[in-house]
Amino acid sequence: MGFGIFNFNKVRNLIIFLRRYFNFFLFLLLEVICIVLVFRNNNFQRTAYLNSANNLSGKLYDRYNNVQYYFHLKATNDSLVSENARLHNLLRSSFDSMVTNDIVKTDTIRLFNTDSARQAAGTATRRYLYRQAKVINNSINRSVNYITIHRGRLQGIRPNMGVIGPSGVVGMVRSVSDNYAVVLSLLAKGSGSSSSNFGVSARLLRGKEIGTVYWDGADPAYAMMKDIPRTIKLQKGDTVVTSGFSALFPENLPIGYIDSFSLADKSSTSYNIRVKLATNFYNLQYVYVIDNLLKDEQKQLEDSTYRLIK
Amino acid sequence: MSILLRNIIRFVLLLLLQVFVLNKILVHQLVSLELYMLFILLLPFNIPRPALMLLGLLMGLSLDMFMNTMGIHAFACVFMAYLRPFIINILSPQGGFETNMKTPSMISMGISQFLIYISILVFLHHLALFTLEVFGFGNIGYLLLKILLSTVASLMLIVLYELLFFSRK
Repeated sequence: MGFGIFNFNKVRNLIIFLRRYFNFFLFLLLEVICIVLVFRNNNFQRTAYLNSANNLSGKLYDRYNNVQYYFHLKATNDSLVSENARLHNLLRSSFDSMVTNDIVKTDTIRLFNTDSARQAAGTATRRYLYRQAKVINNSINRSVNYITIHRGRLQGIRPNMGVIGPSGVVGMVRSVSDNYAVVLSLLAKGSGSSSSNFGVSARLLRGKEIGTVYWDGADPAYAMMKDIPRTIKLQKGDTVVTSGFSALFPENLPIGYIDSFSLADKSSTSYNIRVKLATNFYNLQYVYVIDNLLKDEQKQLEDSTYRLIK
Repeated sequence: MSILLRNIIRFVLLLLLQVFVLNKILVHQLVSLELYMLFILLLPFNIPRPALMLLGLLMGLSLDMFMNTMGIHAFACVFMAYLRPFIINILSPQGGFETNMKTPSMISMGISQFLIYISILVFLHHLALFTLEVFGFGNIGYLLLKILLSTVASLMLIVLYELLFFSRK
């Protein structure tokens, strides 16, 4: 009997306690929900529900972009023409070969136009497939910036594909919905424990040294490069390109140009290099999403080798 | 216009303004223009506190959806919504604010009281927001400067908004 009353009092006290501090507990609950959302977003690649790739925000951004696109037509046109010129300069017909003792080779590309025919004929297989995409939203003034593009799962976009612009590297695909995708921009400042740190494996075009390019959060036109040893002779204006080590980008795509370099102190073994980015993030209108068709094969081989070693 | 309708319109208006106008303006890396939390600041005095916090969560998540910053704005917004009644209590005169003035404004609170009210809460909001965004105190000078400059920018925007949409009611 006495035990029952005691128990009842305890429960009543608990209810009174909860009612008195209800607001505080609700506050804690909501904040915990937010924190969980923050860390889930940072740690996992996932399909998009609550980000700018979903139907509502994607469509709104699309509408908005339809209007503001007209104001950038001139700059967009200029960048596309200069890219065309660069590609023309790479064409075989732009070179004058002085070597005359070569044996005659049949141009198989002309004979076998499709990928399957070329594979059957034993000539080079396609490794990278480029898909163009329209940028419908782009931010540059946050510490982690995202770009929304109008192409998604139905058009063959998958998470972890590389993205480049007309003049250089832009970022990587983070999450996709049916018709939109969110791209993690190269302008993403790494922060402490979260894995949003985005570094691109890079190489000096002249010296062939390998390093990493990352953004320090200061200026959207400049990034930093690390891991270049001090024994290398650097020059202002040297080109920094992708290394091709990661499966994201092919080699030799421009990332930027060396703006300045210094040693942190006399004993440091590597340079601090400031890189002027090749991509102009201020007026990005079109990007190319790179599909590495041999990525799965490479990954499978690497994984099975690791398992062997283990 | 009823209070409810007025607040719904303000919610949509502030969200669109934040996403399509203010986020497109680049002042400086250290100054980010934030105005959306004015929605929470201008809710009626007598709104229940749970509702206040849930509306903060809703506003924050809606903005996060557009900006791909899942949870960050929601955290700051709920934080601010939770602290709002305390600040109003401290600032209110003996008998509380006049009962016929239902929402915080320059008229109902007085200009200096209103300015103190918004500056404290906007500062707290920015403190939570940028601490979570930068995550870590590695670069504390950068963080503090960003909080201070953005607070000043937000205050100017809020005053501008108040002057534009001023109603004597």
